[in-house]
Amino acid sequence: MPELRVVDCGRVSALRSQTLWHALAYGVSAGAPPTLSFMRPSRPYVGVGYHRRLDEADLDVCRESGLPVFRRMVGGGVVYLDEHQQFFQIILPVGAVPRSREQALRRLLSPAVEAFRAAGVPAELDDDLEIVVGDAKICGHGAAQIEDAVVVVGNLIERFDHVAAARVLAVPDEVRAEVVRLMERFVAATPVDAAAFRSAAADAYGEALGLRPAFGGLSPYERDRLLALDDRFRSPAWLRGSPRPDPQSRQVKVRAGVYVVWTELEGRRAMATVVRGKVERAEVSDPDLDGALTAALAQARLVG
Amino acid sequence: MSEIAVVAGFGVALDRAYDPVGHFWVSMVGPDRARVGLDALGVETSGTIAQLAFLPVGEHLKRGEAFGSLEAAKFVGPLVSPLSGTVVATNDAVVADPAVVERDPYGAGWLVELDLADAAEVRDLISGADVVRVWFEAEVENYRMKGVLAE
Repeated sequence: MPELRVVDCGRVSALRSQTLWHALAYGVSAGAPPTLSFMRPSRPYVGVGYHRRLDEADLDVCRESGLPVFRRMVGGGVVYLDEHQQFFQIILPVGAVPRSREQALRRLLSPAVEAFRAAGVPAELDDDLEIVVGDAKICGHGAAQIEDAVVVVGNLIERFDHVAAARVLAVPDEVRAEVVRLMERFVAATPVDAAAFRSAAADAYGEALGLRPAFGGLSPYERDRLLALDDRFRSPAWLRGSPRPDPQSRQVKVRAGVYVVWTELEGRRAMATVVRGKVERAEVSDPDLDGALTAALAQARLVG
Repeated sequence: MSEIAVVAGFGVALDRAYDPVGHFWVSMVGPDRARVGLDALGVETSGTIAQLAFLPVGEHLKRGEAFGSLEAAKFVGPLVSPLSGTVVATNDAVVADPAVVERDPYGAGWLVELDLADAAEVRDLISGADVVRVWFEAEVENYRMKGVLAE
């Protein structure tokens, strides 16, 4: 039976908690076996999704709080990461992954659900491709094709600081308060034994992929890539990312189908909380108290 | 504006060439200038597109290299060029609103324009209305067999 390389990197620096698995992805692209890896950052930091504007993170707050900021190559938004999160990554050659993104994610997240269950968490993969317990997301995930490898990343969240997570977002205070309220409702920690989760994940991914788990480490090629990735991820140009258009309205997604959207125009701000396609709460702040005009502007900007 | 035929349940513009690997369409808009976009299967398998990014105008690329990237369901992947050339235009409208690609993949949802380094590469693509129709039908069937598309 072919091998599933299992690489347990343990506790690593914030930088390495990103660059290690990117290096493994380059390795799998170059011919290393399919790989399941684990790591845990030694300290809090902030991650920015590949396509997102850097100014979606509150860089002043990050600086004041001593939080490094790194741009990753997988999707999603600005996220707060810390030592209470056990990261995992499954990395396969692109040819072994379904062409449909939805199917690829379903296939590569399902074993993680099994691992959560084996560790005692009644997890499910919902229709929005979130790993949940009830309505609450319990695992942040993202994915990317890196050269000829596909990597899907996720985390076991042992403890989650909702306030700290919202604090690093560059949003108005009212939006931040709403984001915290939604996070408390829709993002939950699952404080289970991380070693049991890792062991169950190796078994579950091995079984699902028809591979035999075998512990391994980085190849010399991956070590070289790691050093280059360390430099890339520390470089201001990489962190800045490509120029992105200024959006008409801004949005913070708390989990799939749950987000806060807001827009500002001429001193007025309109904010809406959307839960599963329905506006659960809407708020307009208007210094001139011209409600009708503001509502019209909000409608045009938020809904179109 | 080209006519869109319905082939195996999907819209297909029969007046252009197709890259069977990346599911891109290619339309010549000048002697050596090609416009590139995603075909209906490329859109379908991407899912709801959240982000698009392209190389800057002036960048040179070879066939098989990425001219940009696409994010859907927090999954980032490369947009792999079916042709070699220089990026001479990018569609800012789809960067600002990626849903345009899903609404109108063969029209307003185009992605980039390339000045071709080797126009002969276009001959390697699938073209001709009848050939495109047969190929696309087979491709949909193949995707359905593999479970990539719902029945």
